[in-house]
Amino acid sequence: MIDDILNFLDPYWWLIIGVVKAVIIAVGLLSTVPLLVWLERRLMGRFQVRLGPNRVGPLGLGQALADAIKLLFKENIVQSSADKFLFYLAPAVVVFTAIVTFSAIPFGEPFEVGGESIGLWGANLNIGLLFIFAVSSMGIYGIVLAGLSSNNKYSLMGGLRSSAQMISYELTLGLSALCVVLMSGSLNLYDIVKSQSDMPYAIPLFPAFVLFFIAGVAETNRAPFDLPEAEQELVAGFFTEYSGMKFAMFFMGEYINMITMSALITILFLGGWNSYIGFDIPILVFAFKVFLLLCVFIWLRSTFPRIRYDRLMTFGWKILLPTSLVTMLAYSAIKVLVIDA
Amino acid sequence: MMEFLDQLWSFNLDRETVYGLFQQSLVFIIGMTAILASLGVILCASPIYSALYLIGNMVCLAMLFLLFNAEFLAVVQVVVYAGAVMILFLFIIALLGSKEEKRELSFQNFTALSFVGLLFGELLMSMMVGETKPVLGQVTPEVVQQVGSAKAIGIELFSNHIVPFELASLLLLVAAVGIISLAKFSYKPLRKRTRT
Repeated sequence: MIDDILNFLDPYWWLIIGVVKAVIIAVGLLSTVPLLVWLERRLMGRFQVRLGPNRVGPLGLGQALADAIKLLFKENIVQSSADKFLFYLAPAVVVFTAIVTFSAIPFGEPFEVGGESIGLWGANLNIGLLFIFAVSSMGIYGIVLAGLSSNNKYSLMGGLRSSAQMISYELTLGLSALCVVLMSGSLNLYDIVKSQSDMPYAIPLFPAFVLFFIAGVAETNRAPFDLPEAEQELVAGFFTEYSGMKFAMFFMGEYINMITMSALITILFLGGWNSYIGFDIPILVFAFKVFLLLCVFIWLRSTFPRIRYDRLMTFGWKILLPTSLVTMLAYSAIKVLVIDA
Repeated sequence: MMEFLDQLWSFNLDRETVYGLFQQSLVFIIGMTAILASLGVILCASPIYSALYLIGNMVCLAMLFLLFNAEFLAVVQVVVYAGAVMILFLFIIALLGSKEEKRELSFQNFTALSFVGLLFGELLMSMMVGETKPVLGQVTPEVVQQVGSAKAIGIELFSNHIVPFELASLLLLVAAVGIISLAKFSYKPLRKRTRT
């Protein structure tokens, strides 16, 4: 019986591998989120000279589990004036796009099993970088729909703010990523990592790196750019009306986006899984770099106050965008006149 | 169970056949979804849902591009239309407030509906005509790989179509300048302007 099934499945095992990869990526990402929340709270505690959660379990690790269980069992309140369908759709869109975005990120060399090479990625696309931008720009809809469907002025303000902010900072993000594409000559993330085997792009492309990092923080709606959920002005911004697991899904989306953005910065500017010091376990190198960037994200949050909304827009359109345009022009000139000549 | 497996086995499905069948059914499903979504755009009473159906339609089109190996076009479709343009649509709907339209069959609606019906008829007619023009030249896996790639489109745009491309970019620049001047400098009547 089992032999028969195995015989039948044998020609289709490439499909099975795809499914297994998808499950691993989704489950891995979702289970990293509580850990990341725990890490953020612990680190924030240290930054602000206090302890952070340390009562439940060793080092307070049980707190993550306890929070997850609490959120699962909380009552799900949907206010009667909300647009039910959109209200349910919005958090799903946020989490879905966040996970799909990560599926295009490679995190190691492919390895051989049974004569067929298995890549450490969900999908190695020729247009990987563009795909990530495309899907992550779809993630804005989750936030806008949450704002629109809640029938609450704070939610609406949060939704509008976030869409305006993400549209403005996407331009800088794309332009500074274009510098990397110029240098490596490929949109494929695997090839981009390959082309950094001697030196990470953060060194020759330092201005682009800084621009990409700033725009990346803004794109993930993290402090100091967390205008969409500014507590003091908007209660909780676009997810004011959400409770229980749906509230947690917005959190999941934000933290997964944070991981994806860190991974993207690692791939584009920090050389991906190239270690440069002879340490030769690609996955660990990659994970370490991502971890370091996540810590920087948390560090930024606990250090900087929130920017005022008009300053945010001015900064995005009048400073970051022209700078990134000039940077791109300069690097394309260098590419044409120096490297190719 | 065993018999069922044997039966499937006897078809002797190899990778290519399964893949082809799978792709054809996918094209059909996605195409139907796109048509349904576009129907939703015109038949929906609430503007928000209309906009959402339009987004669905665009995503379906992008998936069709993807199935026909034009991955660059697919992603550009999502980035430009679904990602940027539709966000602005939703923005405007949110700012102006969304009122549901009343459904009544007036003369205008009747004309519009009959026009849509006519277009559908035309679509069906074009299906009867037959196969579309096939791609010229040798079709090898390498060529197929090349067709939809960013590189191929870039070379095509910047060699054969450089003049229209630059003209289009000029047009966009003019539009951008126009929008900024409209938004930034409010128009005052001539008489008032001379006085200040």
